[in-house]
Amino acid sequence: MALGADRYTSRADTLVFIGCLLLSIAAMGLPDRLREPFARALRQSVLAPLLALQQQTERLSASLERYDAVVAQRDSAALAATFLTELRSENQRLRGLLGLGPRLGSGYVPAEVLHQAEPTNALTFLISAGRRQGVKPLAAVVSPEGLVGLVSSVDAQTSVVVTWAHPEFRASAMAADGSVYGIVAPHGTDGPRAWLLELQGVAYRQLVPDGTVILTSGLGGVLPRGIPIGTVVGVAGEAEGWERTYLVRPAVHPAVATHVMVLTGPPVKGDLRSLFEPGGGGPTP
Amino acid sequence: MRRSDRYRFYIILLGLVVLQFAVTIRLWGRPVGPDFLLLGLLMYSIRAQPGRGASAGFLVGLLRDALTPASFGAGALAHTLVAYLAAWGKAVFFAENVWVNGYLFFAGTWLRNLVVAIASGKLKGTLLGWELLVWSPLQSATTAVAGMLVLWLFGRHLSIRLGEA
Repeated sequence: MALGADRYTSRADTLVFIGCLLLSIAAMGLPDRLREPFARALRQSVLAPLLALQQQTERLSASLERYDAVVAQRDSAALAATFLTELRSENQRLRGLLGLGPRLGSGYVPAEVLHQAEPTNALTFLISAGRRQGVKPLAAVVSPEGLVGLVSSVDAQTSVVVTWAHPEFRASAMAADGSVYGIVAPHGTDGPRAWLLELQGVAYRQLVPDGTVILTSGLGGVLPRGIPIGTVVGVAGEAEGWERTYLVRPAVHPAVATHVMVLTGPPVKGDLRSLFEPGGGGPTP
Repeated sequence: MRRSDRYRFYIILLGLVVLQFAVTIRLWGRPVGPDFLLLGLLMYSIRAQPGRGASAGFLVGLLRDALTPASFGAGALAHTLVAYLAAWGKAVFFAENVWVNGYLFFAGTWLRNLVVAIASGKLKGTLLGWELLVWSPLQSATTAVAGMLVLWLFGRHLSIRLGEA
């Protein structure tokens, strides 16, 4: 429908238009002392509710923007808080390493654990030290808490570490008082005890109470004597009445290790257990 | 024309006035959103006699001048001119088509900005160029789109002739 097609500008329309134009020009020529009171009157009367609406809208908009900013800040704080515990823990481990280093003497290489986002990361992982740093295969990898694993292969700058959780890991072990000897191996990958170790081959007549600290025995010449492996937490099984297998809670979990030390010096003759005790001294003969 | 149609028309105009003060769209700090007030004025003008359109334009412009005292009077002049031209042009040329109305909204917004910019005498040189070649076309485009949307949504209620009143 052609609205208004049946009408054209009348003389009255033209006069009104010219009148409005003249008024507009007159308004432009108003001095400030007259212009401002007039504008203020309009703002405080006709425009007041509309300006109030605009003010509320701007406030709402600003509130939304602030809300986003507050949410972002809260998320950042929450994220920082999440990492805080981890940072404290890492700091504690690093302090432990700093304390362990001097006690070990010169026969060690510090390294960072290069964790990968793979399910098998806890079984084998890379460390940031290799042949150039003096790392050799079968070197013991330790943290301030105890044994992490063994170096499996060595590259120029990195090394592959087989942790105690690897199914093929074995270590000659003993009770802290030297009364019991056996072989430590991972308990298995199934069930709730997947991240435990086993102390195998303990003679049936030898009882190992819960809480006994298990150390490397040094037999076989691969691992030095006295590195903490874990703590006995129970009996895993018995075999035909001639041996018992004990469950051992590891001293350190490979997945949480961020910094380790690789023992690179000549085979240590003494016992290292005192090195892993807070404020401990050197190896004991 | 039924009386209810006219009420609906004025309700839509009132809605546009409210939107003008409730919606702010900025681009790099510059408001480039639709000028709902001018949109309402144009919608009124193309349905009213040119004299009424000019009067409405003058009043709308004067109210806007109260909000921007730096160009006091320039807004009244610009809105008067645009509203009169819209009413006159509609009477002579325009067909009732959404796209044609969209062009009218675009041209009306840009012309209003041109007149305000020149009449106020505050914008010169590069600033005037940016205003007329960048910001005004953006605002004109958003106004045109908003106007076409309004016509598409409420076109049935806007197809009235206010001159019969």
